Amino acid sequence: MTSELEQELKHLIIDTLELEDVTPEDIDPDEPLFVDGLGLDSIDALELGLALQKRYGIKLDADSDETRHHFRNLRTLAALVEARRTA
Amino acid sequence: MTNDMAHGPLLAAPWREHAPARAVAWQTDAHAEPSWQTLKAFQADIGAWQATLDMHAESPCRWMLSTHDPYRFGCALIAAWERGDHVILPADTRPATLEALDNLGATRLGDLPGGLMASATPRAPRWGQLAPRRVAVSLYTSGSTGEPQRLDKSFAQLDAELGMHAALWPLDARLTLSQVSHQHIYGLLFSVLRPLCERSPFATDVCRYPETLLLWLARWHSQTRREAVLISAPPTLERLPETLDWSTVEGVLARIHSSGAPLPRAAAAHAQRLLGAEVREVYGSSETGGIAWRVQSRDTGWTAFPGVEVRNDDAHRLWLRTPWLSTPDTWTPQADHVTVEGERFRLLGRSDRIAKVGGKRVSLTALERALGELPGVRQAHCTPLPKRDGRLGVIVELAPEAVPHDHDTRRRLTQSLRAALAPRFENAVLPRYWRFVEAWPRDAQGKLGATCLSRLFADLDDPRTPRWLGETLNGPHSARLTLEVPERLAYVEGHFAAQPVVPGVVMVRWALHAARDSLGLHGVCRDMTRIKFPLLLLPGERVTLTLNATHETARNHVEHHVQNDAHGSGMMIELRFTFASQRGTHGTGTLTLTEGAHHA
Repeated sequence: MTSELEQELKHLIIDTLELEDVTPEDIDPDEPLFVDGLGLDSIDALELGLALQKRYGIKLDADSDETRHHFRNLRTLAALVEARRTA
Repeated sequence: MTNDMAHGPLLAAPWREHAPARAVAWQTDAHAEPSWQTLKAFQADIGAWQATLDMHAESPCRWMLSTHDPYRFGCALIAAWERGDHVILPADTRPATLEALDNLGATRLGDLPGGLMASATPRAPRWGQLAPRRVAVSLYTSGSTGEPQRLDKSFAQLDAELGMHAALWPLDARLTLSQVSHQHIYGLLFSVLRPLCERSPFATDVCRYPETLLLWLARWHSQTRREAVLISAPPTLERLPETLDWSTVEGVLARIHSSGAPLPRAAAAHAQRLLGAEVREVYGSSETGGIAWRVQSRDTGWTAFPGVEVRNDDAHRLWLRTPWLSTPDTWTPQADHVTVEGERFRLLGRSDRIAKVGGKRVSLTALERALGELPGVRQAHCTPLPKRDGRLGVIVELAPEAVPHDHDTRRRLTQSLRAALAPRFENAVLPRYWRFVEAWPRDAQGKLGATCLSRLFADLDDPRTPRWLGETLNGPHSARLTLEVPERLAYVEGHFAAQPVVPGVVMVRWALHAARDSLGLHGVCRDMTRIKFPLLLLPGERVTLTLNATHETARNHVEHHVQNDAHGSGMMIELRFTFASQRGTHGTGTLTLTEGAHHA
């Protein structure tokens, strides 16, 4: 089951990264966002980091292991936002 | 070299001479007796254009000129030259192209929306001063290898090249028949300026279709018993139909020219067999002008034009020294690769194209080759999209059975193509924006140029437009467009959360926009009839939009005609549209448009 926040994040990802052939239904919350699953890359990670900062006030170090963990899939990303959001 | 006397340089302005009866252009629509635009009529038409120009701006000023036909083009061009003005030739007539030129302060002339036309009354022309270093025209590169670039050509540069062609291949009073746009350097020189300077007639109109070519050749020959020269390009020559009876015009064509892209050897043989004349191909570019020529039935290697010097470096890059550049004494490197073999050279293709995506270098040539080897893929072209941080877009021509028709199959296809490339290329450089086509998109020059590219990716910048994947024109009033509904289309948002669809009114809007962009119909929609939307149109779906326009005589619509007299015109157009996909018909109907006078 997808939570409201997860649904919101799906839209954020698609809009921020201008993924033209991806709909929210295509994003499996447990599938990796990077490389294999959605096929995102390091530039996307930077873009997504900026978008999270703008929308939720979350600051991330784009290159840290911690960030890599949070960006693993949609669920870990939602958990991060839930825990650290200031906006 | 027999007929040097016939050629006069532009700087000598051969159109000013007192030879009132000399034939400047041949009227293509006269049936029995030949009908000419004489030099006297040509001068009066130049005067009529000057009357219009005088009313709108003082010299010196800038004009952008585009016409369908070579005759009015020649009149308007010389009218502006003789006033001392600067003429810009837009590479195409897309709104974005023209608006960019509006911003340079150029006023629209000819067959452009809001374009000024010649005054209805012939008038004595005014002659001014032409100078060797003065810019005669500014034109634009096709942009097949990047952003279109503006190029200024001086009278001296054009004259140098025109004189060379006149000496090498004199027209000798033959008729010039053009199948190419004179907005580009090849058409400008071969279709308009050469006949004008060599005092040989050219056809008043451009000859788009093979049926017209056959008819005009037969008509020309029966009227004058003289020969003709065809100015053509690969897309037209490759598609000459066997089904027409070309034997009836055997011997009428003295030669055929082709330029824009190399003509496949089989196509050269095909054209020579059907039309009965050699194809003399011209290799060159807007920047460099003509570089070399070949006749493939004799030799597939290229021979440099007289005066042009060619060599290759160790990496096989082509270096040029040519009198038609502004720096005639300097060797300049070109993008093409060649091997020089004695007197001739072979073209090896363009240099490897390197792009940088997210700081990572990628050879586009290698990426395209890798894509081309995948099952179902016929060819591919990658292009960095500057507004998308240089991310790659790709045009992929697929075998018909591999073409995706809905969201799920398209997504599976892009994922499998990306997965197939992933072992050899870094993630960031993999194409992100995929355009799947069944036929390679080409512009009038036979190239996948900037205009095609910008149409293919236009939906990224405007979330209200469908994704354009190609079109075929079937005569001037009928078009078939292949479209895809972008998943991010603004209109599908928030309609029904469970089932996003394209609203019917949006299909009507798309049909109107397509009629404007593909058929040049700028009318206002007055009425809609027989509108039906039998099947929902979904995001990701691939559809064919068929447009058929019927121009009604005003008599059938007296009441509309009266109503529209205020606008100075009352042409009624019935536009029939159909959106159809593999699943069935999504929308169909008839729109009534009134085409008013264009207001700039």
